[in-house]
Amino acid sequence: MSGKIQNMVRVTDPIERIAHWLLAGSCLFCLFTGLGIMFRSWEFIPELLGGLYAVKWMHIFSGVVFAFALAYAYVMWKKDCAFEPDDAKWIAQGGGYLWKTNNLPPVYKYNAGQKLFFWFVVVFGALIVLSGLVMWNPTAFPIAVARWSYALHALSALVIGSFFVVHLYLGTIGNPGTFQAMTTGWCSRAWCETHCPRWLAEREKGSSES
Amino acid sequence: MTNHYIDLKNSDVILIMGSNAAEHHPLAFKWIMRAKDAGARVIHVDPRYTRTSARCDYHVPLRSGTDIAFLGGMINYIITNKKYFRDYVVNYTNASFLVNPDFSFKDGLFSGYDAKKRSYNKETWTFQNDANGVPLKDPTLEHPQCVFQHLKRHYSRYTLEKVSSITGVSEENLLKVYEEYSATGAPDKAGTECYALGWTHHTTGSQIIRTMSIIQLLLGNMGIAGGGINALRGEPNVQGSTDHCILYGNLPGYLKMPTASLATLGQYLKKNTPTCNDPQSANYYQNYPNFFVSWLKSLYGNAATPENEFGYSWLPKLDDGKHYSQLHLFDRMYKGGVKGLFAYGTDPAVSSPNTNKVRKALEKLDWLVCANIFDNETASFWFGPGADPKQIKTEVFLLPAAATMEKEGSQSNSGRWVQWKYKAATPPGDAISCGDIQIRMMDAIKALYAKEGGPNAESILNLKWDYKDRQGNMDVLKVAKQINGHWEADVEVVDAGQKKLFKKGGLVPTFGMLRSDGTTSCGNWIMSGSFGEDGENKMARRGKEDPTGLGLYPNWSFAWPVNRRIIYNRASCDIYGRPYNPKKKVLEWTGDKWVGDVPDGPWPPMADKEKGKYPFIMKTDGVASLFGPAMAEGPFPEHYEPLEGPLAKNPLSSQLINPTIELFSSDVDQVANASEKFPYVCTTYSCTEHWCSGALTRWQAWLLEMQPELYVEIGEELARELEIANGSKVKVSSARGEVTCIAMVTKRFRPFIIEGKTVHQVGLPFNYGWLYPKDGSDSTNFLTPSVGDANTFCPEYKAFMVNVTRI
Amino acid sequence: MKKTEYIKLIDTTRCTACRGCQVACKQWNEMPASRTRNFGSYQNPPDLQWNTWTLIRFQEHVDKNGDFKWLFRKDGCMHCTEAACIKVCPSGALYHTEFGTVGINQKLCIGCKACISACPFDIPRFNQETEKVYKCDLCYDRLKGGQQPACVLSCPTSAITIGEREAMIDKAYRRLDQLGGKGVVYGDKFVGGTHVMYILSEDPAVYDKLPVKPRIPASVILWKNLFKPFTLIGMGAVAGMAALHYLIKGPHEVHEKKEGDE
Ligand code: SF4
Ligand code: SF4
Ligand code: SF4
Repeated sequence: MSGKIQNMVRVTDPIERIAHWLLAGSCLFCLFTGLGIMFRSWEFIPELLGGLYAVKWMHIFSGVVFAFALAYAYVMWKKDCAFEPDDAKWIAQGGGYLWKTNNLPPVYKYNAGQKLFFWFVVVFGALIVLSGLVMWNPTAFPIAVARWSYALHALSALVIGSFFVVHLYLGTIGNPGTFQAMTTGWCSRAWCETHCPRWLAEREKGSSES
Repeated sequence: MTNHYIDLKNSDVILIMGSNAAEHHPLAFKWIMRAKDAGARVIHVDPRYTRTSARCDYHVPLRSGTDIAFLGGMINYIITNKKYFRDYVVNYTNASFLVNPDFSFKDGLFSGYDAKKRSYNKETWTFQNDANGVPLKDPTLEHPQCVFQHLKRHYSRYTLEKVSSITGVSEENLLKVYEEYSATGAPDKAGTECYALGWTHHTTGSQIIRTMSIIQLLLGNMGIAGGGINALRGEPNVQGSTDHCILYGNLPGYLKMPTASLATLGQYLKKNTPTCNDPQSANYYQNYPNFFVSWLKSLYGNAATPENEFGYSWLPKLDDGKHYSQLHLFDRMYKGGVKGLFAYGTDPAVSSPNTNKVRKALEKLDWLVCANIFDNETASFWFGPGADPKQIKTEVFLLPAAATMEKEGSQSNSGRWVQWKYKAATPPGDAISCGDIQIRMMDAIKALYAKEGGPNAESILNLKWDYKDRQGNMDVLKVAKQINGHWEADVEVVDAGQKKLFKKGGLVPTFGMLRSDGTTSCGNWIMSGSFGEDGENKMARRGKEDPTGLGLYPNWSFAWPVNRRIIYNRASCDIYGRPYNPKKKVLEWTGDKWVGDVPDGPWPPMADKEKGKYPFIMKTDGVASLFGPAMAEGPFPEHYEPLEGPLAKNPLSSQLINPTIELFSSDVDQVANASEKFPYVCTTYSCTEHWCSGALTRWQAWLLEMQPELYVEIGEELARELEIANGSKVKVSSARGEVTCIAMVTKRFRPFIIEGKTVHQVGLPFNYGWLYPKDGSDSTNFLTPSVGDANTFCPEYKAFMVNVTRI
Repeated sequence: MKKTEYIKLIDTTRCTACRGCQVACKQWNEMPASRTRNFGSYQNPPDLQWNTWTLIRFQEHVDKNGDFKWLFRKDGCMHCTEAACIKVCPSGALYHTEFGTVGINQKLCIGCKACISACPFDIPRFNQETEKVYKCDLCYDRLKGGQQPACVLSCPTSAITIGEREAMIDKAYRRLDQLGGKGVVYGDKFVGGTHVMYILSEDPAVYDKLPVKPRIPASVILWKNLFKPFTLIGMGAVAGMAALHYLIKGPHEVHEKKEGDE
């Protein structure tokens, strides 16, 4: 037992995990319902959920959840996701995902890809929320604002949706051992050494000091 | 209307003056648009730029109440520029008649004026007759005493300059209208005039209409397709109600109400039956006794016998020289002289002039009976603004009446078409038709008189009162048939050489067969012929044939008289019966008969000196009157200022106001002429969305949505001067009262230059009252004066003075 | 079934602003009235509303020659061939009828309001209570029954008429000739042709709330023609790439440091 604990590192706390899943869940649900609204060919979605009218409100509702989760996630992760000079190198090498590289700069908590994803989600998430708010009550806004909100909403959905798929892949089968970070919160030390060596080092230093 | 709605399409120039046809007669406007499509010019002359103006070729604004000056200028133009239709004027009007040499006109007054009585002795308003009693004529129209020369002299004073200064219309605009309209003096051109309350609602209303009649006669526009003088009457059924004597001085079919001095039937008939010594004049009213006695028979049935003068003595009589118009009625009521009032389908607490006076007057009644489809300000006057229910002892009855769609019967349009309509729905709740209310009430009254007797009981007890069906409800067909007339005995008539026997109880086929010996009865002679002998209800006819192509539709409903669609139609042909405009033939004499419309009598045209007749068969002399002595103000219309106006002096004479109007003098009849306190000319009107006082339409949410509350239209210039913002609340006040309303600042009202001074005009609709909606303001008639036309007593709603202030 | 396309022609040069059409529309469609105030104009309600599908707009205008004109325009749905509202409607509530007109099925409407901002003529209106959008449906029920629309029937001056498409376009231009070319035919030159057309006495730019060059908004085209398909394409492409990556590169394994490596 102790051995296991020794080999594992607690990478996330419960609040983080709750926030993540709220964000992810609402996002996914919005995506799902949004697609159901946008594509008449995907009628099975409203059929499944009790009709398009209900889906409209579900979408709005989960959008609101998404907005709060996003705001919380932003506050929570913005420090960890602040860019640093080494991130450029990481990106230049595609994070080692696309071709073999050897000199990836050691990552602190999140690698540049994750950071990028985070910021895309923040920016497009904000856009999708704001445009969504306009779409909720378009007549309260100037007509140009209202009209472009629809386009922006769709564009943001496109961006977030696509990144979401990447995130899903990399967070699951693309990077075995990662998924636990958002389930139990514990990852193996080895995983940490691969994905967040600097953070691990700092953490271990801190804990030995204490 | 001398013509009818559809006939408007046959016109070449349509002058809309004194009417807002597009707003108040939307369907009349359909035909005006048809005329326009065919190339007609449509001119709107009106104090306001309205929805009508928007669809006319152009709009000419004039100061409210100056129509006679405007039209007088046109007469002057027509005569000096020789635009009149000479043939027509010489043959079909009294232009050539020589006037009594003692007749005169000086400084605004005709000969015979009595300033104390404010009326004329008409002794000198006559013609010079030859030995046979036939008027002397000068067909050259040159004789200085002939009507034409009098007319010319009278209107020579109406120069462009003078008229422009009075009316505020630029000389250029005057000329534009005069030229364009007088072009219809050509034999094959038709000009028509559409008027409505914009003319009648003046102290000079009847004379405005007469001025236009003179123009139409000079231009030969009477009796022809696309011509005539057309009073646009609307949904209030003014046509039907005047035909059936809504006016106090009339009996059905425009017969005259007897006065006290005419004690016997003989005296009455002598007074009212015109005689003419010219054999070529049909003088159709020589049949007056037939119409009148038949009417008495319809009233009293078998009780009316030659021995009792057919019950003439039972008729109520007017006091000689007294008037009983609505204005007089409320004046007397205000003074406490009236005990009870029936106010059916009317809302005088909103619609009559001088609302303060009217509402105070109602408080003096013992009882008031209203019958309406909704409550209104009259029935509820006792708890209205300023009324103290504790102090008011009037007992008010509000009877629920059926609406027009809830009853069967006839409805008359302006074109004199009497159209039968059927009941579309059953009235809600206790509501019954006004006819049924009448019948039940009269039954009760008769029963009371039978039991208790009373003054003039015979007139009530002898009343023929058999208009009920088996259930005891009004049988409207029985009423209609009695209006058409019955044979009261078996009568053999020789018609076109053929002997024909009519059975007692049968329907009289036409008023030509009515008799004064008591063998016929007829409730309204002009309606005789609305049923066929065989009982066919001609009012219900719906044939769409149009043999003349002029839109006469002879098989659609019944038009009085005798289904004639254009009256005076013999005047559309020359003296030989050849149509003046062969392209639009109303009638044509084929040598033995007339073809086309139903002619004004079967006689040959007047060129046939033996059997021929003049065309204006209802006129005693057989011709139309350029010189019209029947009018109270004089044989030629003259411009007088409104009772309240911006001028202290009439620019044309020293007679400021109409010298023959009756002036009421109670404490609430205040007048402020040319006063600094009330500097703006005001006019009132209705709007499309509401109907009259709004007593029906204000309850209709869709209509109220479109016109929710009282407004005053103010020109931008005046609004700027007074710093009034569009949509803000303002107070409009006159010497008699005030109202608050919304200012509608508009480019459609422009100031006038009158006698060198700038004069602003404002206008308000009169469709609102305090009862509903609660926030829609109150009656506009708080502002209007109780004064009316000298002939009809139709009130002056269209020109008076106000002030406008911000609040 | 052969489609008969109808056009309702509104000839503003014949309109007397009697507003018979405005009331007839409410009556036929059983729309309630609103309590309004006079705001200094005959026009009322001030704008189209969920319960006011057609409205006569009153406008005081002084033209280039200084001539005063009182302009009346019956506003309402134009029944576009390329209808932005249909393009954005997710529920199928808005649709083209067999007459070429744009119908609306409130049963399907989810109140998303997309059509409200998309419509180049600012026509659809939202009802807060029913959460549905309303607009003129060119009296689809009446057309189906072989009747004229209520507004057409009510018009006393034949300012509103309806007929088959070609005939009405022809009629519009003939009327323009009759008016001596003074006027504009509006409606046949944009959004694929509208099924409501105007004869205007003035330049379209003069009229309140009348777009001079109406078209489906660029935002709608971008949204519907680009972003919408790309949402699926994008997500699909990315998923495909991930799968490829997995197949080619395999998962990014954690290289476990062996005990004693240090
Ligand atoms: S006018 Fe607007 S609502 Fe009407 S069809 Fe066109 S886009 Fe749709
Ligand atoms: S076509 Fe029908 S729904 Fe459209 S405005 Fe006319 S009456 Fe109203
Ligand atoms: S019914 Fe005809 S004339 Fe009346 S407002 Fe409507 S379009 Fe104009």
